[in-house]
Amino acid sequence: MIASVLIGAAIFGYAIWHFVKFINKSKKGKCAACELKNSCSSQCGIPPKVK
Amino acid sequence: MFGSLKAGDKGKIIDISHVGHLVQRRLLDLGITEGSEVCVKCVMPFGGPIMIESCGQCVGIRRREAVQIEVERI
Amino acid sequence: MEIALIGNPNTGKTSLFNNLTGSYEYVGNWSGVTVEKKVGVFKNNIGHLIDLPGVYTLNPLSKDEGVVTSFFLNESVDRLLNILDASQLERNLHLTLQLLEFEKPALIGLNMIDVANKRGIHIDASKLSEVLGVPVVPVVARSGKGCDKLVDVIATKSIQPTKKNLVYYGKEVEEAITLLTAKISGKTNHSARFLAIQYFEGNDYVKDYVNSIADAEKLEAITANLELQLQKLYESKSLANFIYLKRKEVIESIVADVARKSNSDIPLSEKIDSIVTNRYVGMPIFLLLMYLMFMLTFDWLGTPLSDGLDALLTGPVTVGFEKVLTAINASEFIHALIINGLVAGVGGVLVFVPQIFILFFFISLLEDSGYMARVALVMDRIMESVGLNGKAFIPMMIGFGCNVPGIMAARTIETPRERLLTILLTPLMSCSARLPVYALFVGAFFAGNKAFVVLSLYVLGIVVALILAKIFSSTILKSETSLFVIELPPYRLPQFQSLWRSTWDKGKGFVRKAGTFIFAGSVFIWLLSYAGPNGLNVDMDHSYLAAIGNAIAPIFAPIGFSTWQASASLITGFLAKEAIISTMNIIYFVPNDASLQGLLADYYTPLAAYSFMVFILLYIPCLATVATIYKETTSKKWTAFSMIYAFAIAYVLSLIIYQGGRLLGFV
Ligand SMILES: Nc1nc2c(ncn2[C@@H]2O[C@H](COP(=O)(O)OP(=O)(O)OP(=O)(O)O)[C@@H](O)[C@H]2O)c(=O)[nH]1
Ligand SMILES: [Mg+2]
Repeated sequence: MIASVLIGAAIFGYAIWHFVKFINKSKKGKCAACELKNSCSSQCGIPPKVK
Repeated sequence: MFGSLKAGDKGKIIDISHVGHLVQRRLLDLGITEGSEVCVKCVMPFGGPIMIESCGQCVGIRRREAVQIEVERI
Repeated sequence: MEIALIGNPNTGKTSLFNNLTGSYEYVGNWSGVTVEKKVGVFKNNIGHLIDLPGVYTLNPLSKDEGVVTSFFLNESVDRLLNILDASQLERNLHLTLQLLEFEKPALIGLNMIDVANKRGIHIDASKLSEVLGVPVVPVVARSGKGCDKLVDVIATKSIQPTKKNLVYYGKEVEEAITLLTAKISGKTNHSARFLAIQYFEGNDYVKDYVNSIADAEKLEAITANLELQLQKLYESKSLANFIYLKRKEVIESIVADVARKSNSDIPLSEKIDSIVTNRYVGMPIFLLLMYLMFMLTFDWLGTPLSDGLDALLTGPVTVGFEKVLTAINASEFIHALIINGLVAGVGGVLVFVPQIFILFFFISLLEDSGYMARVALVMDRIMESVGLNGKAFIPMMIGFGCNVPGIMAARTIETPRERLLTILLTPLMSCSARLPVYALFVGAFFAGNKAFVVLSLYVLGIVVALILAKIFSSTILKSETSLFVIELPPYRLPQFQSLWRSTWDKGKGFVRKAGTFIFAGSVFIWLLSYAGPNGLNVDMDHSYLAAIGNAIAPIFAPIGFSTWQASASLITGFLAKEAIISTMNIIYFVPNDASLQGLLADYYTPLAAYSFMVFILLYIPCLATVATIYKETTSKKWTAFSMIYAFAIAYVLSLIIYQGGRLLGFV
């Protein structure tokens, strides 16, 4: 029984965490999905002047 | 005229000023301007683009622009 | 320390970046692969390396080039690392001369030495260094040769350029430069000479910048006066052209000094070119290659592998899980969660990994060989007739892997109208996440000609995009200007290692997504199918998921799939297209050996299945794609438009196919 509760909590915890992460990431578009996001200091894309 | 050149022909550009200025700029970036020697590599069917070579660099341009470039056969 | 990589397109900047930072960024053999700024850390931690899009000059035409110019003006950088393509020295030096005018510490990486040597071009690096007054290090970015030396030079030497004013632009221009410099000096940290010359060349970014610190009218007057003078004295066409020619003179003398040419044989490139861009066989060859790719993915190689994986998952893996669950005496809820939810949902997606990898392998091959730009050339005539240009086909082909980088790649398209059109249409390209749906359905309904049916879907996506391009460009996005000049890089035999690297890099995302988002999605979908208004463990037809699906199901009745199951999977598909497959696996879960494929026959007729696939192909871009469209267009209106038109066109086409097919007597 305890094992069941633990497994259930782990799965749901993991799922919620990744679900939230994914939605946030997707909403931000390309940038957050980028490999370098930790070291990348660019504002990702749109330069100040778009002609 | 570029229009009269066939695949394999070589020529020297003598006037490029009739081409739209954006295309002119791009060609200039690629080192193709008045005085450049070019060689026609191939011509696409149905009025498609042509492929030219200059200084070992191949470039594709549209037929419409190509015929506006004045070349002299060499 | 911040070091920026600058150079002409396709000279190997990103290859070098990957080598020096140990990261993996997008490399490909055509111009315009990198479209945004990327920052990485040097392997030995001496500082940050910044990868930028390739540019020919600092005066931008397209948006990816604008990234570089605004980077120059708005951000500070300690060192410039200029990458030159040794086989194209003359063209590359135009940019170098501009960079040196910037008067920042700089050094040069002389790349593609191997290519140059093969063509019989030998460059004396130390002499070049002497002439330019900056260190020059020969490298081969692809194999990493010379990179250690390069890092040494970056880290140790003080590399302030030793020479100033390499190019003398003639008395008149120099005088004007002095005049303009006087107006702006002291008001900016940048080199005033650099700003003045760029201003004269008509660089709009620099113009805006200079006008913000000095009196625009006076500057304008100086320029107009200079232009007039040059016209009178030298009959020059324009100021920009005059400056260009002056640089060219200097470059010619430099090249004569440092480069030596010997005889070489005809490059392989030309022989291949005479075939693939041949007037008559160019197009058929492209289609043949596509067909081959689909046969391998769906028939010869991919399907057997997937089937094997499927057998493994439904057999030993499921049994293993069952055993463990029984051993630890798990509750019925957990048992169902893992077996019916996770194994079905995540496993159902993982099964397609082999096929996805094969597809990615081909895309990488396309990207790395140099064929990409040729396809753009071959396609230009067709694209032109619908109001686009051949270059727009590159983002679309990248979109076959994933729509998001495809939309980003549209930045290289010079005219804003064509760029917008390309952004709007790229989502119609069938991305790899849609592939599992096809694989599943063709397996169930069209086993005889799988590859052909899938190919028809991909082609349908392209055809619809072309037709819509025609419609949009003659109604809402009208304009005359169109620009098509494309650089055709020499073919490069792709190295197995880099091919594998880029295949893996793309495929990795798919696997990772299965372990994260698809995992999460499966849990929730399963929960929704397990719970209902009447409590837990309800019959699935009375679950919440069924209720949600039933609410919108009637809309889809005319196009052949009015089941709640279909509707429910379509909803999850908006978040990520892979979710469609995992949802179906959970909904149609069967505990015994009967496979999903067999079961589908009870719910779909072949005609409805085809209609369903067409709908999936077109119906709506996924969330990440929508967000990217918004970022790239910065317009809510166009973003909404991209979703609405896609849904409308999907519905109409499916309707035509389903109802038309029924009239014709298909079932
Ligand atoms: N033979 C050879 N090929 C190279 C070398 N360096 C890079 N390449 C190839 O050149 C092509 C272009 O490399 P990239 O690193 O994408 O070039 P880039 O300068 O980043 O290009 P953009 O992002 O489009 O400006 C790839 O196919 C590389 O494999 C080299 O030193 N020798
Ligand atoms: Mg790059």
